[in-house]
Amino acid sequence: MKIAVVGKGGSGKTTTAAVVARAMARSGRSVVALDCDTNPNLGLSLGLGDAGTDALVTLRDSLDEGTEEHAATWAEIIERFGVDAPDGVRLAVVSRIEEPEPG
Amino acid sequence: MLNVAFVGKGGAGKSTIAGTMARMLARRGEPVLTIDSDPMPGLSVALGLGTPEAGLPDDATVAEVDGERTTYRLRMTPAESIDAYAATGADGVRYLQFGKLHGHVKSLGRSQAAFRQIIADLPREQWHVIGDLPGGTRQPFFGWGDYADTFVIVVEPNAKGLLSARRLARLAPKGEKRRIVVVVNKAREGDAELVAARTGLEVIAAVPAKEHFRDADRAGVAPLDHLGVVADDPGLDAVRSVLDNLLGKVVVQ
Repeated sequence: MKIAVVGKGGSGKTTTAAVVARAMARSGRSVVALDCDTNPNLGLSLGLGDAGTDALVTLRDSLDEGTEEHAATWAEIIERFGVDAPDGVRLAVVSRIEEPEPG
Repeated sequence: MLNVAFVGKGGAGKSTIAGTMARMLARRGEPVLTIDSDPMPGLSVALGLGTPEAGLPDDATVAEVDGERTTYRLRMTPAESIDAYAATGADGVRYLQFGKLHGHVKSLGRSQAAFRQIIADLPREQWHVIGDLPGGTRQPFFGWGDYADTFVIVVEPNAKGLLSARRLARLAPKGEKRRIVVVVNKAREGDAELVAARTGLEVIAAVPAKEHFRDADRAGVAPLDHLGVVADDPGLDAVRSVLDNLLGKVVVQ
């Protein structure tokens, strides 16, 4: 199952996504949570805390900096660059704006 | 003259505070131009305009073809373009919009070119400029916010709001003439101190979490026009204090 949560800023997308992800993980499913927001806060709602959320290596940075061929599969990328959140949810952050340059 | 842009996480209250403040300034007899580059409606509602078409039409620019390359140059001066195309909202606040998609359009390229030329060369001596930038951290500083000398980060006092505020402060253009301040929105007792401590930023006001503002929001009307909001409403007082703070510390151009 693939679910995308959308909505206006501040309406509760992140909180809803995190609760759904953890509830599904608790019921025994294996869950990957992808934070596609460029102001990524999903880690906070999943329970990783402030420092844990801001320290996440983003997938895009990881791919840009790698020297090896792009052999990694989707599953390998999640495995290498994701982090474990509570209830066994695997979290990966797609991108975060670090420099005010067009991206 | 003020030259301010509002930024913040989506839903923090940028548009409402920016629009309310703009009207308060206009009520003092000052010329106020608001610049809306937030793709979500909000500022126009706070100005009593609803959700208008106040974008720049294609004929705001002339096409200049050079071989295979076409560039779009503003047909009039920025000041004349503002006179011609900005809507007039409540209390005489002028309102210029970019980035709203009304149905399917082929491209925003042409109006984007016009909008960028106007904000690159705003007639600052003629207008107080108050901008509402897109929510989040991706868009506000990619050329949309460079015109401002003061950035007001609107922060809702929760973990996501605080983290977003720190990111925005990191990304904002810096310089001797630039100032970054915080307005706490939906604040409870002690939140101004909490946000100052957790962000290390200068907090200039805290707008209290009041039913009046929420009711106005729900009804889709400006707080200044909402019957439940009285003249000495604490929420409006807080926005007034934002305005007074900014006017008292206008950065010299």
